[in-house]
Amino acid sequence: MKKKNNMTRALLSTGALAFMGMATSSAQAASGESIIKDRCLICHTETGDAAAPFSRISQQRKTPEGWLMTISRMQQQRGLVISPDEKRELVKYLADKQGLAPSETENLRYVLEKEPNVVESFEPLLQETCVRCHSGARIALQRRTEDEWKWLVHFHMGQQPTAELHAGARDRAWFDIALNQVAPYLGQKFNFDTDAWQQWQAQAKQPLSGRWAVHGFLPEKGNFDATMQVTMQSKDHYQISLEGNYADGSPLAGQGKAVVYTGYEWRGTVTVGGVQMRQVFAASADGQSLVGRMYPNEDDVMGGQIKAVKKTAITAITPSYIKQGEQALLTVSGYQLNGKVNLGSGLKLLEVVSKNDNRWVLKVQASPKASVGTRHIKIGNTSASEPLAVYDQLARVEITPNDSIARVGGGGGKIPKQKSVYRAVGYAAGADGKVGTLDDLRLGYMTANWSLKPFDETAVHDNDIQYAGQIDARGIFTPGDAGPNPARKMSTNNVGNLGVVGTVQEDGKSISGESHLLVTVQKFVRAVIE
Amino acid sequence: MMITDKITAPLSQLSQSKGWKGLACAGLLTVGAVLAGCSANSSQPMSQNALPNGMQGNGHEYLLTVTRPNQLHVIDTETNKLLRSCDIPGSFGNGSIAISPDGRTAFVLSNKMEDVYGIDITNCETTFSALQSYDNVQVKTFISMAISPDGKELYTIQNPVRKLRDRFETMAPRLAAFNIADGLNAKPIRTFPVDRRITKIATQQNGEVILGGGDIKAINPKTGETRLITALQNWERAPDKWVPPDAFAMHTMGEHIGEFVMPYFTIRWNGEPGDESKADFLWGHVRIDLKTGAVENFETVPFEFIVFNWVTDPKDKDVMYGSFNQLSKHNLKTGETLNVLGMDHTYYNLNMTTDGKKLYVGGAGNNISIHDPDTLAKLGSIPLVGDMSTADLRLAVLK
Repeated sequence: MKKKNNMTRALLSTGALAFMGMATSSAQAASGESIIKDRCLICHTETGDAAAPFSRISQQRKTPEGWLMTISRMQQQRGLVISPDEKRELVKYLADKQGLAPSETENLRYVLEKEPNVVESFEPLLQETCVRCHSGARIALQRRTEDEWKWLVHFHMGQQPTAELHAGARDRAWFDIALNQVAPYLGQKFNFDTDAWQQWQAQAKQPLSGRWAVHGFLPEKGNFDATMQVTMQSKDHYQISLEGNYADGSPLAGQGKAVVYTGYEWRGTVTVGGVQMRQVFAASADGQSLVGRMYPNEDDVMGGQIKAVKKTAITAITPSYIKQGEQALLTVSGYQLNGKVNLGSGLKLLEVVSKNDNRWVLKVQASPKASVGTRHIKIGNTSASEPLAVYDQLARVEITPNDSIARVGGGGGKIPKQKSVYRAVGYAAGADGKVGTLDDLRLGYMTANWSLKPFDETAVHDNDIQYAGQIDARGIFTPGDAGPNPARKMSTNNVGNLGVVGTVQEDGKSISGESHLLVTVQKFVRAVIE
Repeated sequence: MMITDKITAPLSQLSQSKGWKGLACAGLLTVGAVLAGCSANSSQPMSQNALPNGMQGNGHEYLLTVTRPNQLHVIDTETNKLLRSCDIPGSFGNGSIAISPDGRTAFVLSNKMEDVYGIDITNCETTFSALQSYDNVQVKTFISMAISPDGKELYTIQNPVRKLRDRFETMAPRLAAFNIADGLNAKPIRTFPVDRRITKIATQQNGEVILGGGDIKAINPKTGETRLITALQNWERAPDKWVPPDAFAMHTMGEHIGEFVMPYFTIRWNGEPGDESKADFLWGHVRIDLKTGAVENFETVPFEFIVFNWVTDPKDKDVMYGSFNQLSKHNLKTGETLNVLGMDHTYYNLNMTTDGKKLYVGGAGNNISIHDPDTLAKLGSIPLVGDMSTADLRLAVLK
């Protein structure tokens, strides 16, 4: 009981996002529509149109996070009075009734998942008008009528009156462009009425209870495999029990809850090793897979991609490469694996070292003459979706992310440091033998040694390397303390412009890759959807 | 409400002064009470010979700035000492200041850029106020305030947005004229439509108001008649040769010499558009003589570093100074950078005395740095109690 109370308090303290995952279906809770009538009609009006009954509400579709932001803004700035139970109920109601179809969130989920260091690319009109302040995904994850997009432009002039004076706005007729070019364009591109949404509404939604095999990665601990037991408490509300192991054998266990919005938007909170973790997953239409990201509530950079399956599947092979002539232990992660192992040509199974519900460990010998290329391992009738690469020699290393930001923090301030995380991806030269060509063979994540260097001459001159932070053996960069530093020119913060170098050793040779890291100041305004 | 007065009269005298009355009225204003008993007469200046609190007229120069939370500071340029700090009603606006032609009243933009308060710099008395938002209309003024040459009217650019029950509705910006003699709770006596995105304005001797927006225009504040002075955003230059200018200035300065300056940034493509190796990155300046209306346009100074604000040397109009992370000195005719001094922190703005003997560099911190215009050498510093943030640094020449 004490544990539960502590958890509740911790979750509440992490803000609105966290409590979504705690939502429970209350028998007493009023229906979404009656909450709107009770709480929102002080300002909003009933239109008399049964298809769109409420002004400024019924003409928009958003993600659960999008609706949460809207209702929170109404509370904070427009005097909305609503209880936490009603708020949960209303977010659920609106996300279900006016959400986005799975195809409408595809390729934009990074912003919901809080995936760091994503570099977006939107058309110049949106880039210059909206994306100079917001993520492009924040716009692309909304559907509105053209009029609603126009009212959104007007909203900006009332809410952020100086928006048209910012760099990138003041050199053009920003308001006129936003109202008369961008809003009509968005009304076309991200219209309220879409076939995708109609089809998704008509489709039967699958319950997500059952036993799931989960494969994931967390920067501080590495890969893990686990079983996630999901029990339905009421429609769309589930209890979660997570149990498994990290790659080093250490256990992973967690308990929590999840709510499913819009028939597929899984939002869970689980306590793993005393850390509150948030799950932002998308369920497949058949209810057989969950894909997304799990991250600590308080430190969303330190999370990783997750894949869970309920049907027989191979979710990962680690490592995802084997060198000609060498022997390796391969971990095959998956669910309900059973039967004969088929490795493909040039690979020989020496031994099944271990096997359990979630993973098989195989000792594999690659022939010196095994052809360079990919294999799709099979166990029984189950094929791996991700390939195993057989290669001749490591030719180059790429560091991901290629461009990244970390933020100073702490130092007596309230905002914690925002770290950044790097991984090294190896490539072989491929059939043409030339490095850096299209046929380079991706080998996958490799173990690397990590170091930092000044990115340019200014960084050398300002001695950024001394102040901006450090990188550890796992590729986790921790920035310096926040606040003016009297030891630096103009007492500047511990900001810096750095190169992150990851070096992979193979056969006594060092092969390095580099990426760019900008260490900058704190983010003082954080949004649920940035 | 508190008066911080470095040359404070005995409390018994102060309690009977207009200062208390004016502040009490301003205090009432902030809660929207009826202004019974707050006479507009309080805005009448005292005669020249009776300047209170040791203030000197006859052209004595005072430096004005605003700091957070919301105080107007009066600094004697002769001694570089802070004379007094006046509480401004409402929360911080952006620290914009416009000064009456007699140098006596500082009009300060307050309350998140919505309200204007006229404050007598000799005694901190609030003699004028205009609360621009009304009914369901939110009115913001971005920096833009100016006083008519006869000192009778205040002009602001209003950016109104109507707050309906469930939506905002953006309204057209307008020039609003206020009668300064209306004193507290003044209402606009005329309005005329103007362009969007106007920040920096100034009045010319002929009464026109220069509108610093995308293009530089002038409006007759009596009739609303508007004319183009210099097209910037809408200039007619080949787009494959020139990048449309980014014109923006946070601060209105030039009163030490009677001019309006609008700096801008542009790129001249000498090769293919986008070929930076063959391009010139340039500062441009539109400079207007407020007495004669003469307009100069320079595109000579190379863009080597960010300059936030510029002032002209009264001893040599070819020379301009700029501030940001550097204090710099430039020849506008030749484009030559004459001197650069690295600063200890960022300073948004700068100003000069009319004799051109002192440079004051301020904003973005809590100290004003004093420099020798000839060498840029630092002469001293004036510490302030709060952060100047985006505030103006203005010169009041007291008559």
